[in-house]
Amino acid sequence: MPRPDPGSFRDPASHIVLDDSRVLRLLDDRGLAGWKALSASSLFDRATADGRLIASTLIDEPHGDAAGVLEHPRIPFISYPYEWTFSMLRDAALLQLELLEEALGEGLTIKDATPYNIQFVDGRPRFIDIGSFETYAPGEPWIGYRQFTRQFLFPLMLRSWAGLPFQPWLRGNMDGPTAGEMKHLLSLGKRMKPAAMLHVSLQARMEESMSGAAVRSELKTAGFNADLILTNVRKLERLVTDLEWDGTGQGWVGYEACEHVGRDRESKGEFLSSALATQRPGRVLDLGANDGYFSEIAARTGATVIAVDGDEEVLDALYRKGTTVSLALGDLTNPSPAQGWAGEERPALTTRADPDLVIAFGLIHHLIYTASIPPASVVRWLASFHCPVVVEFVSPEDEMVARLTANKTEAELHPGRTRREFEELIGLDFSTLAVRELGGGVRALYSLAPLSG
Amino acid sequence: MIFGYLDAGSGSLILQAILGGAAGILVAFKAWKARLMGKRAITEVQPDPDEQPVTTES
Repeated sequence: MPRPDPGSFRDPASHIVLDDSRVLRLLDDRGLAGWKALSASSLFDRATADGRLIASTLIDEPHGDAAGVLEHPRIPFISYPYEWTFSMLRDAALLQLELLEEALGEGLTIKDATPYNIQFVDGRPRFIDIGSFETYAPGEPWIGYRQFTRQFLFPLMLRSWAGLPFQPWLRGNMDGPTAGEMKHLLSLGKRMKPAAMLHVSLQARMEESMSGAAVRSELKTAGFNADLILTNVRKLERLVTDLEWDGTGQGWVGYEACEHVGRDRESKGEFLSSALATQRPGRVLDLGANDGYFSEIAARTGATVIAVDGDEEVLDALYRKGTTVSLALGDLTNPSPAQGWAGEERPALTTRADPDLVIAFGLIHHLIYTASIPPASVVRWLASFHCPVVVEFVSPEDEMVARLTANKTEAELHPGRTRREFEELIGLDFSTLAVRELGGGVRALYSLAPLSG
Repeated sequence: MIFGYLDAGSGSLILQAILGGAAGILVAFKAWKARLMGKRAITEVQPDPDEQPVTTES
């Protein structure tokens, strides 16, 4: 029995239902008309062939009162803009504009402009909401313009012009900052830029003064046309392309050059490869993935790999390098929760990841010593994935731990940090399949299988 | 007219004409003027509430 996708309900013309492994889009009459117009265009063939648009097949299968049903391939891992890096959001914004420009050239339009309509597949953005396309009605403005500014342009400006991460804002308010809010977030110098004067200050002023006014018929009568949208879209493309972010230079970039990392990399890679060969996971979750070295090893087995890291700069570098691994920016001590309408619209990161194997290399000592998570809680958390885990244990004698605890007293640290105590803890939830010692015994790798299931 | 499910924002819609360049500024001005005239016309035909007939119907 198909069940509605809790994240697809806003457009009455088109919504997704999930049927086991199948993804179906149910269209009403208006949605079906939009599909017919899109599928007859050269844009559809071109953008589907080059991967910018999700593949779609009209199927002859009745579903309630749907006027038409499309089938799409399943996206391996759904991520949300508050889990994307700067370059990912910028590429998604450019895809949105590019498709709109091409659509207008063929008498079509895209009726909204939200990054939730875009997903990353094999390292590139792909537009997934086929129901967003419809025939352009002459004289109509671009309905998605304000949404584009709030969910793409302003977040990119925040990072590029104000040095502020946009992800907390998008996670806290899924509609994104308003033009009025952006005015307060940009410095006077940035507000004087022509693009900010138009898209931020003027929009804020006009939104305030014209709130609730019906203006679409006036615009049409006044001679509004698609060329005006195209001019705006092309200028936005140049603006978005020019927005840049060079990183903070304060994170984990270059971590792989650290002595202990370089020394142990090969051993860890071999240990992981052995676990991958034994477990043969279909989905791998790499926690604290850093530069993606181990994610790439897992990806070479053909598994879907989700690399999670809290450092935007390293993940952005991995994205720009062209990795095909799925990326999710996130603080593991505060991962994306289930949120949105009814608390179901955007499922939690861990629900979406749904791994068959978890990698936790170079991670748990940061949780224990930096984030002050009790060791027992860390192990229970690893067990909560209900799948095999490959984990690196770092003992209190390790030089990195000494640095992490340089300003902490023994009383300020949780008990249970020794290797013997760690082994007791993992014994409660896991059986140990393999162990390898590193760095003269201060670090050790464990391949674990859950006791139940 | 297409009715979108999305609230496009009235000010943002008019702004789009301005963002469309020189030709669009004229369109924006015309639309703004039409809206002003429309508002005035509505104000002019609005009867004085004191002169409305009193009714007991609900």
